[in-house]
Amino acid sequence: MPKHDVAIVGIGQTKFRSKRRDVNIPEMIYEAVKAALDDANLEIKDIDALLIGNMDHFEGINFSELWTGIDACGFYLKPVVKIATGGTTGSSLGISGYYNIASGIYDKVLVVGWEKLNEGGATTGIITAFDPVWERPSLAGALGPLALMANIYASKYGIERSMEASADVVVKNRSNAANNEFAHLQMPNITTDFVMSSQMISYPLRLHDCCPQSEGACAVIYANENEAKKITDNPAWFKGVSTAHYYTFGCDDIMYNLPTATIASKKIYKKVGIKDPIKDLDVAEIYEPTSWAELAWTEALGFCDFGKGHTLLDEGISKMGGEMPVNPSGGVLSTNPIGATALVRFAEAAIQIMGRGGKRQVPDAEVAMGMGFGGSLWTELCILGKDPKPVR
Amino acid sequence: MVRQKGEFQIRWKTDLPYRWAIGKLAVKYFEELKKRKIMGSKCPKCGKMYMPPRGVCADCFVEMTVDDMVELSRKGTLMGFTVVNYPFVDPNTGAMRPFPYGYVICQLDGADTYLMHFCDEIDHTKFKIGQRVEAVFCDELPKDHESYRPELKGDIYDIPFIRLLKDEEV
Repeated sequence: MPKHDVAIVGIGQTKFRSKRRDVNIPEMIYEAVKAALDDANLEIKDIDALLIGNMDHFEGINFSELWTGIDACGFYLKPVVKIATGGTTGSSLGISGYYNIASGIYDKVLVVGWEKLNEGGATTGIITAFDPVWERPSLAGALGPLALMANIYASKYGIERSMEASADVVVKNRSNAANNEFAHLQMPNITTDFVMSSQMISYPLRLHDCCPQSEGACAVIYANENEAKKITDNPAWFKGVSTAHYYTFGCDDIMYNLPTATIASKKIYKKVGIKDPIKDLDVAEIYEPTSWAELAWTEALGFCDFGKGHTLLDEGISKMGGEMPVNPSGGVLSTNPIGATALVRFAEAAIQIMGRGGKRQVPDAEVAMGMGFGGSLWTELCILGKDPKPVR
Repeated sequence: MVRQKGEFQIRWKTDLPYRWAIGKLAVKYFEELKKRKIMGSKCPKCGKMYMPPRGVCADCFVEMTVDDMVELSRKGTLMGFTVVNYPFVDPNTGAMRPFPYGYVICQLDGADTYLMHFCDEIDHTKFKIGQRVEAVFCDELPKDHESYRPELKGDIYDIPFIRLLKDEEV
């Protein structure tokens, strides 16, 4: 059992862009860390420990926390832990931050996720994460397997309907991104025709069905109940976290419907007392690497029945103004600095609870979900709220 | 002053060689592959058949050895497909991987897990999930085929790709 309640009390993000050639890695990270400290009105001396993460092989720099942690985050003579779990790096960081506070080890921790993808190659880097004998020769990074999964989804539920629904996902998320000053791809006037006529990248995925490669950092400050009330009247409290990691090989299962999302969400709904996620959650920030993935992931998370992902869009449920908006920030289809991406989901969920979303704010948001996806199709979840108590 | 493209950046392009031990079961797999046999590994506890073969059954946390390896069919069923049509550097070679290329996930007859591999078809309209497929050996190809090799060497390219079987071949 947790010994302490845990809250997010400060958030800093850089503006995510395809290239940040004006800064090096520590300079970029410092921007987010400074913003988070200013947000919480704290100084670096107030923070007990640092959790930092990215995927080394994207930039080709191993053990970068050696200098990014000490210099950019100010952790001279303090504990620094590096976490790297693929796409879930940010959510593993976010959940570890929760554990570090809930266990009573620390009172305040700084959690930082970052990536500078334009300095290497994302697809090349992802391939190096997989088994050198069996998987690397034919693997095409993440998009090849995600395209396989999209075709399996389409074979079960119909290609025409799925293609239209996936284009609706892109329009929703990229136009939401236009309300988020930090988002990378902001497209307020995007249309489904524009998406469905873009270049075929890996059938059935077109260019605009896929997430971009972004550069940037996200820093989040966690505190226990005693410290949180000294920092802010309006923190975002953790109601629970949940993790499900699957087989090591991508080909051990067909996995088009992300079984880990079903397993992890059932666990957290039970813990937090959620019976109907659409009614009990006010907003969700999910990790959708492709448009098709949002259809499949929302089904796997229990937001609708399997094969009915399109109804969330058709009925306006997942759009801004709907019953439970999904990805008001623009989501991963708009912004993907891989090591930061899942932490941004947690941070954006917290921003909604704190009521600080500006043009992307969901009115009266009281319960929000954040999701990380990655590794070998892993899922990690948090549910945040105005208080740390279960929903019921 | 106009800054030239690439100025104030460090570019790093160099070979980074690695040598990986492939594991006891993979050694056996490639030895048998040279004899035109495709071997999976069967969990002695739950009976799950892994193809590619694996040292440990994740479900049972039980070790599988070369004695648990069983020959499988070269034929199977197509579970999913795509045609990769984007450029990227292949970390195995340091060069751009040629594209477009067919990429499939299939289940060999008798296996419980799936194999992801190249496919020689690059027209996405030709794939039908659930159709029959076959592993192709490099020495069976026409001599002018880019993947042809006169003999099996005991590496992944002994089976350069999966082929879609036409109805009349099934």
